[in-house]
Amino acid sequence: MLAANKYENPILLAPMVLFLLAFLGFPAVVDIIYSFSEITFETLRAPKLSGIGNYQKVLADPEFWQAAGFSLKFGLVTAALECLLGLFLAVFLSPLFEKRTWLLAVIMMPMMVAPAMVGLMYRLVLHEFVGPLPYYFYIWFGDSPSFLGSDNIFTTLVIIETLQWTPFAFLLCYVAYRGIPAELREAASVDGAKALRMLWYIELPLMLPTIAIAFFIRFIDGFRVFDNIFVLAGSGPGGSTTSMSIFIYLAFFKLGKIGTAVAASMLLFVAVLCLLVVVSRLSQRRASA
Amino acid sequence: MKRYTSLNFTALACAALLATTSLSQAAVTVLGWPGGPEETALRAASEAYNAKSDTAEDDKVELIFFNRDGFFDKLQADLAAGTDAFDLNLLATYSIGRYAPFMKPIELSDNAQDVYGDAVLSTMQFDGKQYGVPTDLSMHFMYYRKDLIDALLADEAAKSRYGEISEKYLGEALMPKNPDDWSWKDYAATALYFTKAINPDSPTRYGTVLQMKNLLFNIMVFHSLPRSNGGDWLDAEGNVVVDSDAYRDALKMYKLLADNGATPKDSLSYEYAEANAAFGAGQVAAMMQWNAAAGDLTNAETTPVIAGKVGTVAPPTGPEGRFTHIHGLGLGLNKNARNEDGARRFAKWLSTPEAVTVYARNGGAPGLTEKIVATVAEERPDLVPLGDYASNYGFVMNGGTSAKALSVYELQAKEFTGYWAGQQSLDEALTKTKSGMEELLK
Repeated sequence: MLAANKYENPILLAPMVLFLLAFLGFPAVVDIIYSFSEITFETLRAPKLSGIGNYQKVLADPEFWQAAGFSLKFGLVTAALECLLGLFLAVFLSPLFEKRTWLLAVIMMPMMVAPAMVGLMYRLVLHEFVGPLPYYFYIWFGDSPSFLGSDNIFTTLVIIETLQWTPFAFLLCYVAYRGIPAELREAASVDGAKALRMLWYIELPLMLPTIAIAFFIRFIDGFRVFDNIFVLAGSGPGGSTTSMSIFIYLAFFKLGKIGTAVAASMLLFVAVLCLLVVVSRLSQRRASA
Repeated sequence: MKRYTSLNFTALACAALLATTSLSQAAVTVLGWPGGPEETALRAASEAYNAKSDTAEDDKVELIFFNRDGFFDKLQADLAAGTDAFDLNLLATYSIGRYAPFMKPIELSDNAQDVYGDAVLSTMQFDGKQYGVPTDLSMHFMYYRKDLIDALLADEAAKSRYGEISEKYLGEALMPKNPDDWSWKDYAATALYFTKAINPDSPTRYGTVLQMKNLLFNIMVFHSLPRSNGGDWLDAEGNVVVDSDAYRDALKMYKLLADNGATPKDSLSYEYAEANAAFGAGQVAAMMQWNAAAGDLTNAETTPVIAGKVGTVAPPTGPEGRFTHIHGLGLGLNKNARNEDGARRFAKWLSTPEAVTVYARNGGAPGLTEKIVATVAEERPDLVPLGDYASNYGFVMNGGTSAKALSVYELQAKEFTGYWAGQQSLDEALTKTKSGMEELLK
């Protein structure tokens, strides 16, 4: 019986480990080799090791830093907006959702749409001649703003991303809000705390770890954004909406700079990994405190 | 009994698998351009080829397709991986150089020159070799509103206003002309005149619609303008000459039209579909667009607002002549083809008068010589100007079929849109384009 237990776990885990090695491990190893090689589409099977040249090129490329800056700004702004809106909805609409639980399904719907489809949808919605939004702007105000012009494109993209992913932040915040023990609220109420004080001193501190996790997950997602931006605006005039993922895609497929693209993807991987480690450590420290 | 049944089933399955494998090895597998008239035409041509009495069983053609999105990226990855899943595959003029290392040159039929003419054949050539059989030709037409231009030409007061506007914005008092006689300045003057923000009496909101999204295909649409000013990518010695007055003037004209509101506000995010929607809504007087749009823009069901009011001519003339960018789609031979001989025979047949007429009658858009197009002119009148414009005005930039041609288009798209958006100066845009091209084409 003991012998059976000894081998049971490795045997049960083996398929998953093999799957991960084949579909994640192998490409990761190939990527690492390519990132240190001179590589083109003609030499995919015979890369020539060239040291850290690709990394030096990427780090000296102003377009890489422009893309990193865009991703950072986009990730931070959208994650902050989504968490604020999600928190607001979770706290202020909680009584409504308690009574009408089916509304939760409705509010989750934007998350169900593929990001590329969202980009495509807004290409239609915002088009001056076929889109409903410019149509009503013309009827009501006699003119319509340039939603996708170079001055407004960042704001438009942030709003679209926020509209799609606020439900995710809302869901986490709502679960955290509902998880606060009722006796804490009762005790605070007996001590004379009004709603705002209760929110600030009791509920928000208890929800903070969840909000932080929601923020980091959304930040990582926003930082590596690709589909909806690429479908809606491409890499933008002058490359102004080039995120890190778009930079990597363009370098790889459109410019044929495979080494540069793979080195950039490795840097992105390391950055995200570091962030995850920090978040994980913070969560552990808070849990043990 | 049960055991025998199971064995029989296994044997049958193996036999079926072997049969399927040997069949797929024997046939000629062609990877085509999915969806749209190109697929329909290729299906008809392959059926006609398979039905021929002298087509051997091993030479029968099977077609495969994958999605259009990212088609050329996926094809590049497949070819680089040494795939033998297809014998012939789609080629485009601007990507021949990129795929040439994974392909083999082909031979066309003896009368291919009489069928296509030199300009069209050159869209499938690289390093002096024929890498593909041309199937479809893409170029640009100028689409304009006949009703609006006719009204303008008949109205003296409108002509005078037109002259005032052109003098104010272009520094020259111009008079309206027939669109077939337009220079690029006439085009710009007409675009400004039909812009409501400039001329409140204009029946349209915008005079033109420019496709200014950071996208390589939009730069192809733009290219007819600098070319008519004498612009090119490389000179005869192979030096990059993009930092020229020809490009400078062309880029400035686009910016002038955009800054003065002659094109929709969101034009920096516009491509093919958006431009068609604007023109189809009846709010644009004239635009440059791919020939493929002609079907929709002249169809009363798809664009009822402008039905019967649309004229098409070749793009306007510049100081160095009248030009339209052309590029072709075609089929080329995979270096790792399993059935190379069969593939060569099919490619050769595709360039015969018999094959191109089948292809044309079934929705394809081959660029054909006057003699050949006459045989299908009744069913496909739209193909007549295609061959005419291709031979008279068609051009491919010097370097436009090189291995890095696509990357050059991408680079120009990025830098030129940066200038149009006001993010960098014209000098910066051209300097960066020149140095980037030198890096790519060295």
